[in-house]
Amino acid sequence: MERISAPLLALAALASACASTAGRASSEPSAVEPSTYVPRPLAAGESGIAVRGAKLLTMDAEGRVFDPGMVVVRAGRIEYAGAPVELPPEFPVRDVPGGWIWPGMVDLHSHVHSGGSFGDLNDMVVPTNPELRSRPTVRPSNPEVRVACAAGVTTLFGIPGSGTSMSGFGVLYKTKTDADYEDVVLRDPGGLKVAQNFNPQRGGGDLGASWAGLGWLLEKLGDEAAEGAREGREDPSLENLMSVFRGELPVLIHCASAEGVADTVRMWKGRWNTNCVVSHGSWDGYLAGPYAARMGVPVNHGPRTMNLLAMRREDRVVGTAAEYVDAGVPLFSLNTDAPVMPQEELFLQASMSARLGADPYAMLEAVTTNPARSFMIGDRVGSLEPGKDGDVVVSTGDPLDPRTHVELVLIDGQVQYSRERDGQWF
Amino acid sequence: VVIASPLARTVLALTAGAMPGVGWSDTPSAEAGAPGGPGLAIRCAKALTMDEERPVVDRALILIADGRFVAIGPAGELEVPAGYELLDVGARWAMPGMVDLHCHVAGTFDINGAVYQANPGLRVRASVVPDNPALRRAVAAGVTTVLYIPGSATTMGGQGVLLKTAPASYEAMRVRDPAALKLAQADNPKAWGWGMGRLVLNWQIRDTLRRGLAYARRWERFERDGGAAPELLPQYEIFRELLAGRARIAAHTQAYQVVYSTLRIVRAELGLPVFIDHGTFDGFLAAEMATALEVPAILGPRSVSSQNKGRGIDHDGRILGVAAEYQQRGHPQIGFNTDAPVIPQEELALQAAMGVRYGFDDARMQTVRGLTIVPARVAGVDERIGSLEPGKDADLVILSGHPSDPRNAVERVYVEGRLVYDAREGRKL
Repeated sequence: MERISAPLLALAALASACASTAGRASSEPSAVEPSTYVPRPLAAGESGIAVRGAKLLTMDAEGRVFDPGMVVVRAGRIEYAGAPVELPPEFPVRDVPGGWIWPGMVDLHSHVHSGGSFGDLNDMVVPTNPELRSRPTVRPSNPEVRVACAAGVTTLFGIPGSGTSMSGFGVLYKTKTDADYEDVVLRDPGGLKVAQNFNPQRGGGDLGASWAGLGWLLEKLGDEAAEGAREGREDPSLENLMSVFRGELPVLIHCASAEGVADTVRMWKGRWNTNCVVSHGSWDGYLAGPYAARMGVPVNHGPRTMNLLAMRREDRVVGTAAEYVDAGVPLFSLNTDAPVMPQEELFLQASMSARLGADPYAMLEAVTTNPARSFMIGDRVGSLEPGKDGDVVVSTGDPLDPRTHVELVLIDGQVQYSRERDGQWF
Repeated sequence: VVIASPLARTVLALTAGAMPGVGWSDTPSAEAGAPGGPGLAIRCAKALTMDEERPVVDRALILIADGRFVAIGPAGELEVPAGYELLDVGARWAMPGMVDLHCHVAGTFDINGAVYQANPGLRVRASVVPDNPALRRAVAAGVTTVLYIPGSATTMGGQGVLLKTAPASYEAMRVRDPAALKLAQADNPKAWGWGMGRLVLNWQIRDTLRRGLAYARRWERFERDGGAAPELLPQYEIFRELLAGRARIAAHTQAYQVVYSTLRIVRAELGLPVFIDHGTFDGFLAAEMATALEVPAILGPRSVSSQNKGRGIDHDGRILGVAAEYQQRGHPQIGFNTDAPVIPQEELALQAAMGVRYGFDDARMQTVRGLTIVPARVAGVDERIGSLEPGKDADLVILSGHPSDPRNAVERVYVEGRLVYDAREGRKL
């Protein structure tokens, strides 16, 4: 399989010289090795769809780009992603001339599952709540979720808020536009939500008024769960938390500032070696980027991807996404913290990070494959590869360009948004 | 960690814009183009002149001398005159410095005198701080002119001043003072006191505008016909500027019935020069009336009309783009603003880009027009700024591609022929 031909490179270089849209619209077919894949016709009652466009960004580990490209989905799963192949007659196909095909985006920090913006997110009677779960608050296909879908964001980690140090377990779900809970859930519990500093600070006169108290609350509970996990203890209130300590579920940790990020990495990786992901990491959190990189902790950054305060010190706006990537943190990803930033502006987090110095392709990874892999769902979503869920987006151009319009969104191979059918949303 | 193939990355980087640091010719002297210095010739891949005749010139040559444009045309048609220094910027693009007609960050933020409800005499000039951090970011983003205006705490906040953003003395920054009278037609000024409603605001506005207009007419008559000089009333002096066409009313107005009131009272009844500032929510429902009355629309900082705001918009859950809705109703003069610091000054171009995302047609560079020549014309200073045309101020932005793709970087900014930002000396954005 051919990756990118030399003429295409030249064409792309030319595109930057004459028109920003020329490169993506008029690429010549590149020389592609004949594929051995021959799609069989759909069996009776079997669902399937193929999409064909000018460019296919697989977002796979090799970063393969096909120009033109095709994705074939059968029974909800991807069967083929590569150069266009001959399809059996009657096989449903959606042809988007000039279209770019890419995987549905993944946002690991989202609060719109209960509908009505912030909805029902925080139980704040006690500071640590390992028993709680988001599941009872999920309203599938609510208006904010439908908007996310139309923008190409297809997988969300719907999590409790940061009102307490440990607010409970979130749900990984798809943004299908007319579905019930069983149809949208990808994994439940999807993972744990922890808030390491700032928001959970308590003013009630009890423990947790400072970061020292917050740290002690988490450490005490975590040590207990870690020991329980080692001994195979049965404890209903720690059941899910112990699976985090057995490495079976990931944990997303709200933290910000350099000392907050460092404390998170030290505790959740250094002390307990969990599958932890730093979330936010805002302000000058990037200063702890090299430490997170050394410890192998992924960062899920946003919704602010710059440090304006640095303007006073350095006379420039620091692009913090670029700083984290340059520090070498693994599986760097971006989030919206929706509704803090609207879910549909996940792509814009990537564009604006690129504006402030990050590599555009790395930012595309940061909203597709990286969040999926860092949260142990890389085998299901985040890239277009055989066997994975049929979550496919087709757009009129580069996903990171706000002038691009979304043409088609498939989730599990079903058309969830179509510009032709539903009118242009984005 | 798997970082994807360098090839794929390169292609995406290239389609996103020129590679940084590639293709610069030898740098001319720092004085080239500036007043008193030698002439400057800039060769670029594309010049978005925003000149009516030839809005886009491919492989262009731009000639600058003494702080002004001398000529712009295809490199094949223009010679580099003797004595000019040449800067070849390779694959990069050039465009006019951008203009933001709604800015609150040119000074100390002391922009609301809210003792009285209508304050046509107040001036924000007193709070301008040249070369402040917000203005430095504006320069680095290619925003070279701003209308610095009072806030919306009262129905009439006072007078705005049109400024260049580049570091200079106040006198050198000033393009026009006073340049605008700030009107706040609804919402925010209601917070002035208990019992304030739109009815009172509209009365306040109509009453003050009529008094001010009568004052300006008395002076106009006196200057034309002589006779006894009218009494000098400093709070109404701005109306003489408005009547003479040297200033505009910047109307903070949004939602249909409010935009309608602006058009009805300020334009249809009193005939004053006014532009719609904000125009958001369902303000676009008055777009056809605005078009008929030739009232421009400077939109933002909210680029969408969301169904969740309870503004009586009834549709299927999709998000409506404000600029797109004005455009689809045939409005010909659409520009964009930031209301900085509501949206940071440096994200002006993003306002236009997001307009396209929500359906604004950019086929004829309407985004670029809305960032440059449209606001310049609306402010009445298009003889000086807003396009790359001979005789105009050499306010020029060199960038790596289309300004409405946020991944493109601003690489150089000239204001009046002076190089005021050079990303090669350290990118600020």
